[in-house]
Amino acid sequence: MTSTIQRLHLTHPLHFVIGLTLWCIWFIAVYGGHAVACAVAPPAPEQGVFTLVNAMLLLVSIVSIALLAALTLGCCREAKRHEGRLRFNAAVSAGLYLFSALGVLFAALPIIGIPPCL
Amino acid sequence: MTTINRQATPQDPQNPKDSQGLHEDLHEIWGNPRGLKALTIVNHTTLGLRFMITGMVFFLIGGILAMLVRTQLALPGQDFMSPDIYNQVTTMHGTVMMFLFAIPMLEGLAIYMIPKMIGARDLVCPRLTSLGYWCYLFGGIILTFSLVIEMAPSSGWFMYTPLSSSEYAPDLGSDFWLLGITFVEISAVSAGVELVVSILRTRTQGMALHKMPIFAWYILAMALMIVVGFPPLILGSILLELERAVGMPFFEIAGGGDPILWQHLFWLFGHPEVYIIFLPAAGIVSTLIPVFAGRPLVGYGWVVFAIIVTGFISFGLWVHHMFTVGIPQLAQAFFSAASMLVAVPTAIQVFVWLATLWLGKPKMKLPMLWIVGFLVIFVCGGLTGVMLALVPFNWQVHDTHFVVAHMHYVLVGGMFFPMIAGLYYWLPLFSGRMPSETIGKWGFWLTFIGFNTTFLIMHWTGLLGMPRRIYTYEEGTGWDIFNLISSVGGFVMSAGIAMVLLDIALHFRFGKPAKHNPWNADTLEWANSMPPSAYNFVSLPKVDTRHPLWDNPDLPRTMAEGKHGLPVATNGRREMWGTDPLTGKVREIIHLPGNSWWPLFAAMALAVVCISLLVRIYPLAGIAVIVAAVFLLRWSWENGAHPKAAPDAEVAPGDPPLHSRTMDGPGLWAMSITMLANGSFFMSYLFGWFYLWTVSPEWRMPETSPLSLIALIVAGLSLTCGAGILEKCVRGLRQKRDEGLAMGMYSISALGFIQVAITVWVLLSADLAVTETAHDAIMMVGLIYVLLHGGLGAILALMQGLRVGYGYVGAHAPFEPAVVAQLWRYNVVVFWIIVGALAVLPRVIGS
Repeated sequence: MTSTIQRLHLTHPLHFVIGLTLWCIWFIAVYGGHAVACAVAPPAPEQGVFTLVNAMLLLVSIVSIALLAALTLGCCREAKRHEGRLRFNAAVSAGLYLFSALGVLFAALPIIGIPPCL
Repeated sequence: MTTINRQATPQDPQNPKDSQGLHEDLHEIWGNPRGLKALTIVNHTTLGLRFMITGMVFFLIGGILAMLVRTQLALPGQDFMSPDIYNQVTTMHGTVMMFLFAIPMLEGLAIYMIPKMIGARDLVCPRLTSLGYWCYLFGGIILTFSLVIEMAPSSGWFMYTPLSSSEYAPDLGSDFWLLGITFVEISAVSAGVELVVSILRTRTQGMALHKMPIFAWYILAMALMIVVGFPPLILGSILLELERAVGMPFFEIAGGGDPILWQHLFWLFGHPEVYIIFLPAAGIVSTLIPVFAGRPLVGYGWVVFAIIVTGFISFGLWVHHMFTVGIPQLAQAFFSAASMLVAVPTAIQVFVWLATLWLGKPKMKLPMLWIVGFLVIFVCGGLTGVMLALVPFNWQVHDTHFVVAHMHYVLVGGMFFPMIAGLYYWLPLFSGRMPSETIGKWGFWLTFIGFNTTFLIMHWTGLLGMPRRIYTYEEGTGWDIFNLISSVGGFVMSAGIAMVLLDIALHFRFGKPAKHNPWNADTLEWANSMPPSAYNFVSLPKVDTRHPLWDNPDLPRTMAEGKHGLPVATNGRREMWGTDPLTGKVREIIHLPGNSWWPLFAAMALAVVCISLLVRIYPLAGIAVIVAAVFLLRWSWENGAHPKAAPDAEVAPGDPPLHSRTMDGPGLWAMSITMLANGSFFMSYLFGWFYLWTVSPEWRMPETSPLSLIALIVAGLSLTCGAGILEKCVRGLRQKRDEGLAMGMYSISALGFIQVAITVWVLLSADLAVTETAHDAIMMVGLIYVLLHGGLGAILALMQGLRVGYGYVGAHAPFEPAVVAQLWRYNVVVFWIIVGALAVLPRVIGS
């Protein structure tokens, strides 16, 4: 775990943008994937939310949240180990990863309540 | 050389007699010429002012149009304007305010302010600043000229298809919009690229990322958002113009296109645009509040966090402008949630500002009055924004005056008020004089009261069901009184703005001379003379705090005495530090080009392209494109070790090398950021291709692909081979080896031209019916895209070969091939993606 964190260089400012880039990729994947699924193989409306489309979107979202949460924890740990510039970088990155994780969680909530192609 | 900006004001810290020689030397190198040669100026201070003054002129035009609209709507059944003229006036009001005022004005402020704040002497690509200004000016003139001939665009500022297509808008109005705006966008993207590189690579010594002035963070985010956000609209404009001029049916259902594609491309740009405007304005707020509260900003890290979040999330909201077009409920829910998310970073900033005021001792000077006005109005606009993010409410008020009111609360509150606060705050820096508090307060209160009278009331007009963009309404609809009040408010607001402009105009003549750093600010721009010299600082300080002038009030004097970095100007070059983007450690000396005609000439040629496309004289447009390309290539020739740039690499003992003698100059960064913009354009193209393929109801794909896969693979291999050789050459240069460099460059160029030739053959042999199906039309656009890139890569490699021969490139000056390699890498990736998307996937998946 420690070596993985070191390899990720979590005090580098590149992490300011990685979390939200992952959020964007998730967002495009979910929106685009949903649009393609509805165009190619729309499930029957009577299935409600219990469709393969919802399941896949939920799965992608859970994986994204897990990844972002892990990176949040990693950055928090790094922030505690450093001072000055490196601490600033890691702390801001931790906040951004946390926001990205919560952003996925919040925007993914409708997946469990709304049928996909109505 | 005869120069202006030579006179320093009495309160000038750069006026000590014992260092006058240093000023004279620097003025000789950096000073601005007068007369006709003033057109060659590339200095950021002058160009920033030109941007802002031009922006204010367009603001006045947009404001007059707004007053015409309010006059028309003041009473029911008015025939003050015909429906067509009314449509032109509303369209141009929105267009002028968004594209010709808000963005250029804030970019102008950033261009003016950023080098001064980060302790640099200029922006990193001064000629690009100049090109950007001329493109903005010419594009703006072309667009507004359409008003004079009563042929202005009339389809709304977002130009929805099919209303803006040939069928419903057959005259030249839409063409004026599409060509003029694309021209202006060259300016915006240029400024975006160089602001990013300047902030990352030219901060003064020691100014690490976490020590940057907060305004620089905002501008960095804004500039990156411009770089990524504008290309979708540029693509959309090109496609729509091709549809109108040639008949390629990108947005016509019958031809396999889809008008909704325009909405996607427009709002992919349009929603981030709101934050592109808001962020620099919020940067002004975050700069001013600590100064007037007399304490550092509470939660600098939180604000950086909020800026980054805003920058990203704002790209995930575009569909909330399209909730009524019929997309599935689940997709609407994603965008509704994302639209609510963006309120979080905005709220963080509001709380940071309130906390800073709470913990400080605020002084209610004129700029602060405008900041308070901003807080009130913008918070209201933000709240109605959250209301509009809710799908059912959005459906109810869609296309009503409620949306117009919300938009003005966000844009006028979120941009105009902070901008005026910033103008008042930096006015002493611009002119050396103070504004009138009395006239200024009158201006504020009239504007504030007038604005709320106009737009608060307009919320109710909208809730009562008045649609936007109707040129009149019947008596008894219940909208009469509200419209009248709004119109009266509009004129009160105009009177307020007139007073502000009067105050600013009068202060140049009658304003009291300002003492140095009159607001006791903390940032480096106040270490300048007032008004600033052309080179900003005699010497470049080491900064290891966020508040250099609070922590070291003596800094302006010691900087002016030449006691810091790079005070000597013996070699005749315009020089400043190139620093590490993370730590601020000095890495090299960046030498900048001097004044140049090339940006003006290139912009003039591009203006000819724009006008000849408008009047549909295509051969002239083609010639002008070639002329513009020649000008731009000639411009690029005067770089590096060229006699007009830095033939002599000598530096003072102990100083780092010149950037052109290293492998990591700012040009490399500028190319990377340009490729980011280019990549955004390409991704938008791919989105269009897959969108039409997936969604368009009449999409027609042939049974067999018209593109020769084998020929494309051969072309791709030629390109990849060229890129491989170029990488080998660059690796050699890193190791100071340049044997066979010229021959290598010529070979690379030849491989590039082979790729171009084969791609041309593929295009011609495909026999595409570009006016009949969107499939063929979009395929054609993709192939032309890779052709242009391949051609540019080949020409640049050829020029590098020639430059090796002239001695401008080699082991002694190894920088440029690395820059060209960036383009080649991009070309290789894009070419193979095009092959995959256009030639392989259709064969695999079928239609």
